[in-house]
Amino acid sequence: MSANPSDRTLKALSVLLCYPTVDLQRAMPEVAAVLAADSRLTAAGRRALRPLTQALAEQDIYALEEQFVMLFDRSRSLSLNLFEHVHGESRDRGGAMVSLLESYREAGFEPVTSELPDHLPVLLEFLAHQPAAQAQEILADAAHIFQALAERLTRRDSAYAAVFAALVQLSGGMADQSAVDELLEQPDNDPTDLEALDAIWEESEVRFGPDPGAGCPQVRDMLAQMDPSPRPAAPPANLV
Amino acid sequence: MSHLLDRLNFLRSKELDQFSNGHGQLTRENRDWEETYRNRWRHDKVVRSTHGVNCTGSCSWKIYVKSGIVTWETQQTDYPRTRPDLPNHEPRGCARGASYSWYLYSANRVKNPLVRGQLMKVWRQMRKTLGPTAAWAKLQQDPILRASYVENRGKGGFVRATWDEATEITAAANAYTAKTYGPDRVFGFSPIPAMSMVSYAAGSRYLSLLGGVCMSFYDWYCDLPPASPMTWGEQTDVPESADWYNAGYLLLWGSNVPQTRTPDAHFYTEARYKGTKSAVICPDYSEAAKFGDVWLNAKQGTDAALAMAFGHVILREFHLDRQAEYFEDYVRKYSDFPMLVKLEEKEGRLVPGRFLRAGDLDGKLGEDNNPEWKTVAIDEVAGGLVAPNGSIGYRWGEGGSWNLEEKAAKAETRLKVSLVLEEDHDSVAAVDFPYFGGEAVGQFKTDADFPQVLTRNVPVRRLKTPDGPIAVATVFDLFCANYGLDRGLGGEWVTADYANPMPGTPAWAEKITGVPADKIIHVAREFAQNAEKTKGKSMVIIGAAMNHWFHMDMNYRGVINMLVMCGCVGQSGGGWAHYVGQEKLRPQTGWQPLAFALDWNRPPRHMNSTSAWYAHTDQWRYETLKADEILSPTAPEGDWDAALIDYNIRAERMGWLPSAPQLKTNPFEVAKAAKAAGKDIPAYVAEQLSSGALEMSCQDPDAPENWPRNLFVWRSNLLGSSGKGHEYFLKHLLGTDHGVMGKDLGQDGATLPKEAKWHAQAPQGKLDLLVTIDFRMSTTAVYSDIVLPTASWYEKDDMNTSDMHPFIHPLQAAVNPAYESKSDWEIFKAIAKKFSEVAPEILDSQTDIVALPILHDTPAEIAQDQVKDWKKGECALIPGKTAPNFIAVERDYAALYDRFTALGPLMDKLGNGGKGINWDTSDEIAALGALNGTRADGPAKGRPIIDSAIDAAEVILMLAPETNGEVAVKAWQALSKATGRAHAHLAEGEHHNKIRFHDIAAQPRKIISSPTWSGIESEKVSYNAGYTNVHELIPWRTLTGRQQLYQDHLWMRAFGEGFMSYRPPVDLKTITQEVQDKGDSLVLNFITPHQKWGIHSTYSDNLLMLTLNRGGPVVWISENDAKSAGIADNDWIELYNTNGALTARAVVSQRIKDGTTFMYHAQEKIVNTPGSEKTGLRGGIHNSVTRAVLKPTHMIGGYAQQSYGFNYYGTVGSNRDEFVVVRKMKEVDWLDGEATKKEAAK
Repeated sequence: MSANPSDRTLKALSVLLCYPTVDLQRAMPEVAAVLAADSRLTAAGRRALRPLTQALAEQDIYALEEQFVMLFDRSRSLSLNLFEHVHGESRDRGGAMVSLLESYREAGFEPVTSELPDHLPVLLEFLAHQPAAQAQEILADAAHIFQALAERLTRRDSAYAAVFAALVQLSGGMADQSAVDELLEQPDNDPTDLEALDAIWEESEVRFGPDPGAGCPQVRDMLAQMDPSPRPAAPPANLV
Repeated sequence: MSHLLDRLNFLRSKELDQFSNGHGQLTRENRDWEETYRNRWRHDKVVRSTHGVNCTGSCSWKIYVKSGIVTWETQQTDYPRTRPDLPNHEPRGCARGASYSWYLYSANRVKNPLVRGQLMKVWRQMRKTLGPTAAWAKLQQDPILRASYVENRGKGGFVRATWDEATEITAAANAYTAKTYGPDRVFGFSPIPAMSMVSYAAGSRYLSLLGGVCMSFYDWYCDLPPASPMTWGEQTDVPESADWYNAGYLLLWGSNVPQTRTPDAHFYTEARYKGTKSAVICPDYSEAAKFGDVWLNAKQGTDAALAMAFGHVILREFHLDRQAEYFEDYVRKYSDFPMLVKLEEKEGRLVPGRFLRAGDLDGKLGEDNNPEWKTVAIDEVAGGLVAPNGSIGYRWGEGGSWNLEEKAAKAETRLKVSLVLEEDHDSVAAVDFPYFGGEAVGQFKTDADFPQVLTRNVPVRRLKTPDGPIAVATVFDLFCANYGLDRGLGGEWVTADYANPMPGTPAWAEKITGVPADKIIHVAREFAQNAEKTKGKSMVIIGAAMNHWFHMDMNYRGVINMLVMCGCVGQSGGGWAHYVGQEKLRPQTGWQPLAFALDWNRPPRHMNSTSAWYAHTDQWRYETLKADEILSPTAPEGDWDAALIDYNIRAERMGWLPSAPQLKTNPFEVAKAAKAAGKDIPAYVAEQLSSGALEMSCQDPDAPENWPRNLFVWRSNLLGSSGKGHEYFLKHLLGTDHGVMGKDLGQDGATLPKEAKWHAQAPQGKLDLLVTIDFRMSTTAVYSDIVLPTASWYEKDDMNTSDMHPFIHPLQAAVNPAYESKSDWEIFKAIAKKFSEVAPEILDSQTDIVALPILHDTPAEIAQDQVKDWKKGECALIPGKTAPNFIAVERDYAALYDRFTALGPLMDKLGNGGKGINWDTSDEIAALGALNGTRADGPAKGRPIIDSAIDAAEVILMLAPETNGEVAVKAWQALSKATGRAHAHLAEGEHHNKIRFHDIAAQPRKIISSPTWSGIESEKVSYNAGYTNVHELIPWRTLTGRQQLYQDHLWMRAFGEGFMSYRPPVDLKTITQEVQDKGDSLVLNFITPHQKWGIHSTYSDNLLMLTLNRGGPVVWISENDAKSAGIADNDWIELYNTNGALTARAVVSQRIKDGTTFMYHAQEKIVNTPGSEKTGLRGGIHNSVTRAVLKPTHMIGGYAQQSYGFNYYGTVGSNRDEFVVVRKMKEVDWLDGEATKKEAAK
């Protein structure tokens, strides 16, 4: 199979979500050009990507790296491992990763990275080599995650938000809002330091309300989250 | 998909075949739907592993792997069978372990090597023009550059690094530190080798080849009960959990088996079905309390009073009014009860003094070898004084009489336990005993107030000695007096009435503990009755709760006294069961050469962590406890008026405790100077220290030359879990934001230490580099400069053993390490390799000087029968005798990696051994060469290879008697030389049993009986401690050779602990007027037990466990206390004192006793902790309100069983005497702008 992706935009987005390196910085003009030329993205969407490509090209590499580690390595709510958002710590996560891995293999690719199969840049690179319809279908399955991550990053004034906004557009439009809301109900966290790691737990407070029979809503929610129930919010079979 | 469309509803195809007379039918309908179910549980392989976490589980698990990904785990159920009358071990495993695979791919995993951004940037900049060591030197010598990352510890700012860079920085820092200050400024902390012994050994092997410092954990965790080495000369040895089943009476004392020992709890349940009675002692209504036939809810911290009352009843009813034959026989043979104690005069009054020794007597009872170390008793057979076999004097310098046969000078004896009969004593003397009960403060205060000195009558014998006439009494007679028992000898402070509230009685204990006297009498009676009928099958399962008090020795010795009085120790189904934190490293003697590089150079540098952290985190600068507050009113004359740090300094210079760093001058320079002066190294160091030209580091911990500079933390969460005085670590060691609120002694205008040098300004940020190796972003990792991602427990090969069962168990790499992680073994190999490349820039071969304290189980342990301080001119400085030994060690830094990965030649030359015995091991070395292969060339040419973790495991298995039957036979034979008795029969049948790593991968294997341990593996009895002492007549490794209930060292007597007694919790004075805010009136005793939904901090950040608990840090308080402070269940509350502050939610429960608050340790700071109103910083961890406090009696050394051993003896980090102010938080601030806004919006 050719190393040339059929969808250079997806490949470019995959690259943007990689850990910043000097090589990546050098490649920014090319990446920016690919993104600027894709008419599937709205003008606003393309414009929104510019601050990121610019920052990646120009900022101090250490600042970029620190930022990346803080955002994507240290914050559960911004994890680039998609199944963190789908399965959390559920037992199904292992099985889901196996299925994804098998779909890569079926399509003729062998992962050669130390990243797990559900790492978003890995998935995007894979989709860049898939027929457009199929790629879009899979992106659509994960659109609610992209939407939620975009919103979280926007709240944090991070330029990376634009990547996720672009992914939502490429998936064919709006994500299922109820699924997005459900994800956004999971509290956000700020990776700038220790403090931020907390917020994710903030809503786990137990309030014993007037109705003793109602049980503990937080526990119920968390259990529901771990439960592998086939909720409509969960991505359909080809991603799971 | 629709199955309706794939199925025939109305027709039957003719093509379908039938079989079995129409009962079976072939169909062609679509069965794809079945695949979903098949795939769900389909896997490529199942691998056996376990969880290398700090619990004693060592449970066997099946790890299911599909396409290289762990999908789930289940419990294994293939342990070797137990014998017919004993329940099986299975199932083993708990909810925590079952949630482990969810950890593996968690977002909290460390994926890549991380380096603090500021450090990385400067490093790369410097490396453009400089070599690694020069770059590090420049960075350290520039205060602004150094501060740029030091002050940002704990505040984020990591970038990814390659392994090459991360190991290069580390290696360069280590080399620079060794060159500039000495290799003993490189520290490494890792606990519990038994939980993953190869991973532990990886780091300690590297450090030991470097000359770095391996820090202890067992004492620092305060899990080491010093009472065990004091009584038995043994760190800790306990029965396996299966032996609970053999008990007739089980006393659970401060232990919460159903909550914290999940995989073993079934034996407790099964024993009750068998009819075993159980009493539970704990202040709260714990999960264990529900299992008790009787629950004694003693007030926390008063257990010693309860133990004393139990002992009072047992002595009265089973030793005095009626003498139980079994008990009498047992204590005569196996305890120090018959030994004679000199009564020493102080201001005209008598106090119990030293044990009488053969050397004190005219003619020394014919003993020429070590007469000062042979204790004396009265022989009933011949009527005279004898020095019975088995005391420590017989252990060294001669052979054949170090045993517990009833013999002395080769003749039969029968020792006299008591002189109470008219004809046996010359007179009755009044002897002083200290009483500490009146020192209680705060909520521990009772009206059980008595004089500080209680004088009681004791029968004595008068003897003539070359030093004049003396009076002596047996330990037993003094012991009975100490318990306040009236024996018809008249005098005060003794009674025959349980209802008399005199010290020692049940009525007295009721006042202190709150437990009704009739219940005390009832339990004591049943405990002893059962032991008498079953010959010792009464057992005490004792928990950390008992050991974490400042005066833990009193609690433990109180319990041990009961067990010895009732003949329970060394009997299956009896004895003490302390399962706290040591997790028996069963193949210990096979592991030690690997772990401490004894195959290349000896000795390694070992350090007792409590003293080290006390000094280096400057907790000593805030000490509120003065020696005179804990000194006995009966103390002999002496220079006792010193600070606790001063006592530690004395102990270090007298060779009692180790030091780290050791000398203020770099040892490389000292060695060069000695060579230049043409002098022998020990003599040179002795001379320079005596003259003051050289200085020991301990005298001045704040001098920059004496700071620890580099610290490795691996397999541990030092800052998030075990770090007593957390905020002091942050302030002084790390130099970052902290919550210390108290003033130091200088600011407070208090008396300064006499010997420790005081600097007006304390240093902040002593460490140049903190490297943490972990698989998850723990609190310690967050504060580190470099974080290295390690393989988790399903990703590495290693071994695990436990004291709870006799099997040796593997950890196996079911999958490759995720992301960029590597196993600990591979990480330290990589650092070693880098070090060998980088170090030669500044370091070649060096002569190092290692200061070695006087070690237990070596001939040196009988060094100081009198306390003499060379610094005060009381004796000469003789290395290894009156001071540490100073030993030259040759280091070859360019060859460090080659040495790391091959087994060195010293094993061939010096053999192997442990606990005082030694055997030739050349056969095993040859076998290892054949098994692992040998190096073809290089500095380790011809040596057996240790490349992989499995190679390392094979070294352990081959060398250890527990896993190699041939070695076991040799080891027993070696012991026979000392005891003069045949022991090899205990292992002979196992001669050809050699356990390999692949054997334990197939099934956990039972270990082989070895003299390293005091129990045996047999088809007849379960493993139980002290078994070989009682049944093989091997002496305990104590001064008297017996279970020693009287401690006669000068410092023990000075601090009033010759005998056990009740000592109330100490006053740490951490709630000062300055710190306590107006209106905050609730002050509670702060207790930190083991939790249910985590193993220490591990699993406490796991969503499943958080869900089962309350999702973050919680603190338990009683309903009454909560009400008084207006706190409702689940309110956010704040706990503080001068040490710092923490925040958590309140759990208001009837379970908790008024006056106490429980905070399960160790809930992570990284999870759900809002800011503290008190400090303005994030609320701390449970250790934010604690501070370590040292006890001088734990510093004793050079004195038989009270000699140093790594993780065996030394100061311990107690933390339960602490009090905190508890208040409701007015406003919860997450210290997070956005989150706060959100909170407001709700």
